[in-house]
Amino acid sequence: MENLPQVSQRLVRGLQWVWVGCAFLLVGGIIAWIIHLIIASWRLDDVIQASVGISIVAIPIFLVFMGVILYVFWGVALHGRKRED
Amino acid sequence: MAEMHDPHEEVLLAPIERTGRGFYFAVACLSALILWGAIAYSVQFTQGLGVTGLHQPVGWGFYVTNFVFFIGISHAGTLISAILRLSKAEWRRPITRMAEVITCMVIFIGAGQILVDLGRPDRMMNVLRYGRYQSPLLWDATSISAYLTASLTYLYLPMIPDIAILRDRLAKRKLLYNVLALGWTGTEFQQKVLNRAIAVMAVLVIPIAVSVHSVVSFVFSMTLQPSWHSTIFGPYFVVGAIFSGIAGLIVTMIIFRRAYKLHYYLKPIHFRYLGQLLLIMALLWFYFTFAEYLTGYYGAEPEEMKIFWSKFTGPFWPFFWAMVLCNFVVPLVCLARLKAHTIGKVLIASLAIIVGMWLERFIIVVPTLSFPRLPFPEGVYWPTWVEWGETAGSFGLFALFYLLFTKFFPIISIWEIREGRESSVKEVEERIISYLPGDAEEKA
Repeated sequence: MENLPQVSQRLVRGLQWVWVGCAFLLVGGIIAWIIHLIIASWRLDDVIQASVGISIVAIPIFLVFMGVILYVFWGVALHGRKRED
Repeated sequence: MAEMHDPHEEVLLAPIERTGRGFYFAVACLSALILWGAIAYSVQFTQGLGVTGLHQPVGWGFYVTNFVFFIGISHAGTLISAILRLSKAEWRRPITRMAEVITCMVIFIGAGQILVDLGRPDRMMNVLRYGRYQSPLLWDATSISAYLTASLTYLYLPMIPDIAILRDRLAKRKLLYNVLALGWTGTEFQQKVLNRAIAVMAVLVIPIAVSVHSVVSFVFSMTLQPSWHSTIFGPYFVVGAIFSGIAGLIVTMIIFRRAYKLHYYLKPIHFRYLGQLLLIMALLWFYFTFAEYLTGYYGAEPEEMKIFWSKFTGPFWPFFWAMVLCNFVVPLVCLARLKAHTIGKVLIASLAIIVGMWLERFIIVVPTLSFPRLPFPEGVYWPTWVEWGETAGSFGLFALFYLLFTKFFPIISIWEIREGRESSVKEVEERIISYLPGDAEEKA
């Protein structure tokens, strides 16, 4: 990336943030959907235990995915590049 | 980073740098299949599910069979790649990327079958807005979402160093490779971060993959339908998924080995080892199938026996016995002699298994529905050209996605091959020495 002109470097960095943002959007969207189902079952006086029980397992897994994506982005794109500089 | 360490690595970048006539021919053939599927779907979309063979009582047919089949094939990638990576099986290195790509592509196709089966795809919004977690269908939606996210992450992370090679070496798609490479330069810190992340994903993806196919089986086993309400459906489906996944991977490897001249990387030993895994899975599959049918037969419940005999001697007998032939007899004949595994035999076994495992899904889904316990008449399911077209289009779409992937990214992991060459030989030697009898000080 060192050979790219300044504008392109900014464009690449911006698109990398967009790329990671899309990953967060996907994972965050699924977590939001699961929470929405819990709220819906509570509002409709449905059996909330099923929703809560499954979300206790599912949501942490998605949070781990978010954590891994963030860790790699930080370690490779941000911190890794700074350390090299 | 820009230099190729080994002149043979040129062959790994050749599909990305150049496009031959074979590619266009393949795209044309696959496009024809996809077009058939698209026409079939558009007819179904405008005229309704009545144009298919689906009716009362057989409300599930080809589409649900395809769904279970494709989700099963997806187990190839993640399980094989993750398990072989965690067990430090060095022979995995040229295989893992192919396996991981299969997983990601095929999950989309599998999930898409449900959209087609709904008839009105807008009804998917009801699942998102009003889904209830009491339903195994919601468990399915959640576990497949987790699996898709995990697989995409697990595919992308090990690709980063290879994308950096493409960024540095190729003149085309500079912007794409620059963005996706995330500034990778191969420093020790970056390598440590990536290895840690890949290890975490490899550990996480295995229970997710097991849960996905278990939950797919729960859609059937949580009902009270005869031949579905079985406690071993979970492990039975997982075993079947791994079985079909390995077969799918082998066929893919053989096709691309020939098409892209990857003989230097995909050697007979890889097929021999995968053939051995296939043999083990064939025996496991037979064990589960035997246990399943023996239990049903011994209990002799009238409703269960109606379906049992319909499969063994009744209207479904050709499909049932073809399934046994393809999933057990042919693989055993081809693979029983471990020292005589050739690529040809492994290919024949794999193709038979792919057909056999599709038939197995069909044999699970349709016969039970054909003999309802409500006052409906028994139903005969005849798929129409719409369902055949949709099935052909689905296979075509998967193959096209896969082919297009190989034009953008290397189908064999270049950095993992280099890592194998540079450090794995010594690591394996040290590991073996540590296993051998002797004092710790002596060995040190």
